[in-house]
Amino acid sequence: MNRTGFFALPALAVGTLIMAGSPAAAQDCTTKIGAVLPTSVDWGRPIAETAQYAVDLFNEAGGVKGCKVEMILRDTQVDPKVGVDAAKALVDLEKVPLLLGAVSSGVSMPILTSVTVPSNVMQMSCCSSSTAFTGVAEEGKTKGLWFRTFATTRNQAAVAAMLIRDKGYKNVAILYKNDDWGQDIGKLVAADLEKIGVKVTANVAINDGQPSFRAEVTEVLKTKPEALYLAIYPAEGAAVVREWVSLGGTQKMVVANSLRSDEFRDAVGLKYLGDVVGHDSAPPRTDAATSFVDLYKAKFNSEPNGPGLPNIFDAVMISLLAMEAAPELKGDQIAAQVAKVTDPAGMAVFPNVDGLKAAKAALAEGKSLSYTGGTGAVKFDKNGDVSAPAVGWTFSEGGTSEQTYFTLSDVDGFIASISK
Amino acid sequence: MIQSLFDGILVGAILSLGAIGLTMMMHILRFANFSHAELLTVGAYVALVFDAVFSALVPAFATKWGSLSLTAALAVATLLSIAITGATAVAADRLIFKRLRENAGPLTMVFASFGVALVMRNVISLLFGLQTMHYSNDIAFAMVISLDPLLLIKPDQFFVLILALTAMAALHLVMTRTPLGFALRAISENPPLAQANGINLKRMVTITWMIGGGLAALAGVFYALTNQISPIMGRDLVLSLFAATIVGGIGSVPGAFIGGFVVGLASSLALLVIPSGYNPALPFMIILITLYFRPFGLFGEER
Repeated sequence: MNRTGFFALPALAVGTLIMAGSPAAAQDCTTKIGAVLPTSVDWGRPIAETAQYAVDLFNEAGGVKGCKVEMILRDTQVDPKVGVDAAKALVDLEKVPLLLGAVSSGVSMPILTSVTVPSNVMQMSCCSSSTAFTGVAEEGKTKGLWFRTFATTRNQAAVAAMLIRDKGYKNVAILYKNDDWGQDIGKLVAADLEKIGVKVTANVAINDGQPSFRAEVTEVLKTKPEALYLAIYPAEGAAVVREWVSLGGTQKMVVANSLRSDEFRDAVGLKYLGDVVGHDSAPPRTDAATSFVDLYKAKFNSEPNGPGLPNIFDAVMISLLAMEAAPELKGDQIAAQVAKVTDPAGMAVFPNVDGLKAAKAALAEGKSLSYTGGTGAVKFDKNGDVSAPAVGWTFSEGGTSEQTYFTLSDVDGFIASISK
Repeated sequence: MIQSLFDGILVGAILSLGAIGLTMMMHILRFANFSHAELLTVGAYVALVFDAVFSALVPAFATKWGSLSLTAALAVATLLSIAITGATAVAADRLIFKRLRENAGPLTMVFASFGVALVMRNVISLLFGLQTMHYSNDIAFAMVISLDPLLLIKPDQFFVLILALTAMAALHLVMTRTPLGFALRAISENPPLAQANGINLKRMVTITWMIGGGLAALAGVFYALTNQISPIMGRDLVLSLFAATIVGGIGSVPGAFIGGFVVGLASSLALLVIPSGYNPALPFMIILITLYFRPFGLFGEER
């Protein structure tokens, strides 16, 4: 048992009482945590609401170390400057040991480097996918304080390569959006394809708002690829694909999740998209993922369809469990416990009230946990990154339909095999 | 190489059409009209509307001509669009530019034209939505002219090129062989002197807007026919149009004609040398290089 002092005992006693089925004990103390999320944009609000819901569930199960958790939420407006200001206020004035967020990689990164790491605050994001974080972590600049529950672009690129491999294409041309994300995924896919013996005939950047993509398309056409890989957005995607098809280019294409859109399908026409397969990350097909969906539906009366909802839910739960396990509520001490609550060999924990109570009891006995939530059994690597299952989808009359499912071990196995 | 040459010529022809209208207005009215490119958008959408109307009213009009994606409905719609876009240009002048011309400086006119561009673009977005559209949702396949070297041409493109050249040749004849052309050129050279000779300035200004708007409509329809229609097509084209105008020399109709081809060919051929990521910078490069060697453009004169 972890005896940090006399005052830890009442907390344990409360935990035992709850286990016995008595109503949640009165909590006089409060533990503050911070959240910086883009609540002023329409897809950001549900993320914040889900975060608050996770905190409420945790409080229902007795809170952290017997204290009620209070999440102080600040808006980032998807703006790095606003996000950093908000994070700084939470860390300096509210003295939070844990910061949840942000959503966009461009906001999370300056918060990480200029606020949380210098102040020894743990940061966990639901949604930042840039591989730049992996680089920063590898240089040791995150001091182990950074985690995210969203699979990185690395993961998406691997799935693209797997789809191309499964289709048996031998020569593929890549067209990518000329921004951080597009360059990132274009480079990764090209590298992965080379490793599995697929020839990349061309790797061409597509800029927004060009009057014509004819020249770019012609460049690619000359290299006579057997199939295309597209990591671009719907408007440019439609223009490029129409030009490509009209010039007699192959209709065999593998596309990124950015093109999983009705706008793209309608502008190109379903009849030219029969040989198109796309990739996207997916929730795992496990009981835990379903139980998250059930919890969400019971609370919000709708399906958790927005981006990042299971991811923020898991981020909150894992962080709070780590706080429960930490000897003191300091950033580095909490971060050090994340591995303990996401240990594949540990006791499986489901994030409902009963599950959380059981988890806290197990932690009190010094056992490790395997947190299994909306994104499945979460396992962070040494850089704080997670992997995720994925789907291959095709266009259909009603939108898109899922075709193939890649389990977490499929994806991880593939990444491991090409990383050798 | 040959493919890039042909593609460049095609894009160039469309840019020339737009640039000629722009250069005429800049010359006669003496301000840089940033809303000109939006007239291309207006033209494309007006044609889209009437194309749908005629196709619905007269089903026989909706059949395609041979291997073109052009229909009788679209042809008639384009003629109407030329008139309506011309009228839109005149209306913009009457409502905004005319008042400012009388009281304000050239810089105010330039800012006003930015405003007009924003209004036009957003009204179109409100009416039609932000998504891209096409006259025909079928994809028109290209004909293989030659496999080695690769040369693929869409029938539409060939047709558009011929029509654009015809329209520009017709304009050239009007400008050089008719009293109207003489009057327009006289007004742009020296307005007071032209007026003293009995040329009606107001009427000539209206005609300039009509011609500029009509050519823009034609360019818009041609662009839409070979690419796609979207509310931001004008914004995407505005830089290339200005590059063509400046390269040719402001005020020179033959200059705008050549300028369009220079910009079109350069952006098509550049891809053979530089990565596509740098393509958006190309119009600026062309403007810089031209002005470095010829400060008034290829065919422009000091004023």
